Amino acid sequence: MIDVSAFNDALGIMFTSVGSWGWIVPGLIVGLVFSAIPGISITMAMAIVLPMSLYMDFFSAIVFLTSVYTGAGFGGSVPAILMNIPGSPSSFATTFDGYAMSQKGEHNEALGYALFASTLCGIAGYVLLLLVIEPLADIVLRIGPVEMFAVAIWGMMLLGSLGSTYISRGLLAAALGILLGTVGMNTAGFTRGTLGLPVLLDGIAPIPAMIGLLAASQLLSLASRDYIIEAEGSREVSLRKILKGCWGTLKYPGVLLRGSIIGIIIGAVPGVGSSIGNLIAYAETKRTAKDSATFGKGNPKGVIAAESAVASGEGGSMATMLALGIPGGGATAILIAAFMMHNIVPGPSFIETQKPMVYAIILNNIVQAIVLLAVGIGFIYVASNIMKVRTRYVLPAILVIATLGTFAVTGEAAGPITLFVFALLGYALNRYQYPVSAVVVGILLGRMLETEFLRSYQLSGGNPLYVLERPGAMAIFAVMFISLAMTAWGKRKQNRAEAAEALAMRQIQEETRAAHTTPSKG
Amino acid sequence: MRIGRHSYAIDYGHLALITFIAALVFWYLLDARSVSLSVNNLLLVQPVAIFALAMYLFILPQCFHKVEAREAAKPTSENDPFAVSLSTDRADVIRMAALGVSLGLMVFLLDVIGFDIAIFLFAAAAMAICGERRPLHLLFFSLAVTLVTIYGFRALISYPMHTTLL
Repeated sequence: MIDVSAFNDALGIMFTSVGSWGWIVPGLIVGLVFSAIPGISITMAMAIVLPMSLYMDFFSAIVFLTSVYTGAGFGGSVPAILMNIPGSPSSFATTFDGYAMSQKGEHNEALGYALFASTLCGIAGYVLLLLVIEPLADIVLRIGPVEMFAVAIWGMMLLGSLGSTYISRGLLAAALGILLGTVGMNTAGFTRGTLGLPVLLDGIAPIPAMIGLLAASQLLSLASRDYIIEAEGSREVSLRKILKGCWGTLKYPGVLLRGSIIGIIIGAVPGVGSSIGNLIAYAETKRTAKDSATFGKGNPKGVIAAESAVASGEGGSMATMLALGIPGGGATAILIAAFMMHNIVPGPSFIETQKPMVYAIILNNIVQAIVLLAVGIGFIYVASNIMKVRTRYVLPAILVIATLGTFAVTGEAAGPITLFVFALLGYALNRYQYPVSAVVVGILLGRMLETEFLRSYQLSGGNPLYVLERPGAMAIFAVMFISLAMTAWGKRKQNRAEAAEALAMRQIQEETRAAHTTPSKG
Repeated sequence: MRIGRHSYAIDYGHLALITFIAALVFWYLLDARSVSLSVNNLLLVQPVAIFALAMYLFILPQCFHKVEAREAAKPTSENDPFAVSLSTDRADVIRMAALGVSLGLMVFLLDVIGFDIAIFLFAAAAMAICGERRPLHLLFFSLAVTLVTIYGFRALISYPMHTTLL
């Protein structure tokens, strides 16, 4: 299953680029710190540090950014356990039992469970990726432009339909992203939407647009708060109890395995990501557990299930990104941008021609998961203070860094201006619940989509029935329409249930209010 | 607004956003068509633009809420565990808008008054918008941000960065 010669070459890359290992700890710290601050997401952290990676060699840049990604996976669980506030959406399910354990005075053990589950399942996700990358390479090499186009459209549809409460808004965001991605000169030599500006001939600069949409727009919305979060007083941290929690994780191999499998599968599907993976893993563990009644009241299995899905989901999303060159969400979109900054296009040809590099990236991620164990414990000691930052100090500093970061990428004012325009657009989209990540991925994939579509058109000679000769593409389109229909049906059902629940809650509140007001009148 | 027996509240902000997006898409489609009507030019752009415009028509009714339904929906949104949801309070919206305006001013003035002065003024303005009123804090923190970012990025990037004082 593993190409031994490429694996040996990968070890060679790992040991000849020891300097890149130095980026693991700073990357983990950036990821941990940013994701521990509620309101500042993993993608925002990665978007802000992305321009810095331009000045590193390719391997160091990927090591740094994937370390941020790995650190952020665990960082969000610290405020989730200590304060019942998920640092990032992917830590939501961790609050259910993590905070309950905290209330019982078992916060150290809960942090230990979360940390060790993150480490073990992060490793498991990447080991599995190491094993499947070779067979995956054989499959993806058979993919032609029609299948590539179908996969990209499917990814966009999923991102659009799953990333928002409203499918229609998600699909509009995805379509807008694709159109923005096609601005400039296409592969056939036609120039559109440039407004006569030479700077737009190559299209909209994706990195400043991405930083504007993912980071600056969110930062603008924090202006109304004095503190990013009103934190509770810090709790006493005990290394002995954290290690006891770490050790205790091993008592639940079934929970770890189930969480990992769910995380990997969900992580590999574009648009779903770890924010849903952790909820599904938690729900499945609760459903199958004999002691399901204790879930939500401080059962360690709840913490382990949620965290294992978050950590292993990273391996799953990297599989899709490396094999197909399609980002599963904001974080992998930034990784693809980092690849592009170094003139490397991930996808079938990258896996085939750069297999040692692919293995080296995966191996380095395994190292990161191990280093996370040590850095994570150190981080727990300072975490509760990081969460009490005042926005008046954080906002100006981060916005200036983000602006100069875009200048570092483009070398002219066009970068900061693009950031500003897309920050405003991102703010408006966020305000009305449009998935910003769908726009980002559309901008990244727009050009590729058009090129693959053009190639398919040329291969088929303009005959739409050509798709019938490509069973792979037909299967992908069929799955796409079925999954879209199922999502629409599921959302309709969910919305109805939520509306009914809201109505029932309202009736109960009104009845309670009436019961309270009647005696006082009398 | 009243239509028939029902009262409707119009979400003007949402309406403006989607109309802006639809206008942008429509302009882009016209621009692409004005370049060439060749299939190689319009193969992806035209169907995606038409799809986006269809989505606009589909979303349009969502900007009009029945007044009763709108009020019934309020309590659930307030229980969102993620505090990231945007505040609709007038003072908060003004703060966010002010921060957006100062970001825009900084971005457009970088090459005019120099990166150093633009960053210093933006940092001070952003701190003031976020509630800082102590002059010394405003002065020293903005200065620190300016010095660290200018010298830090100058060491990092190879492009010339126009500054007035530093």
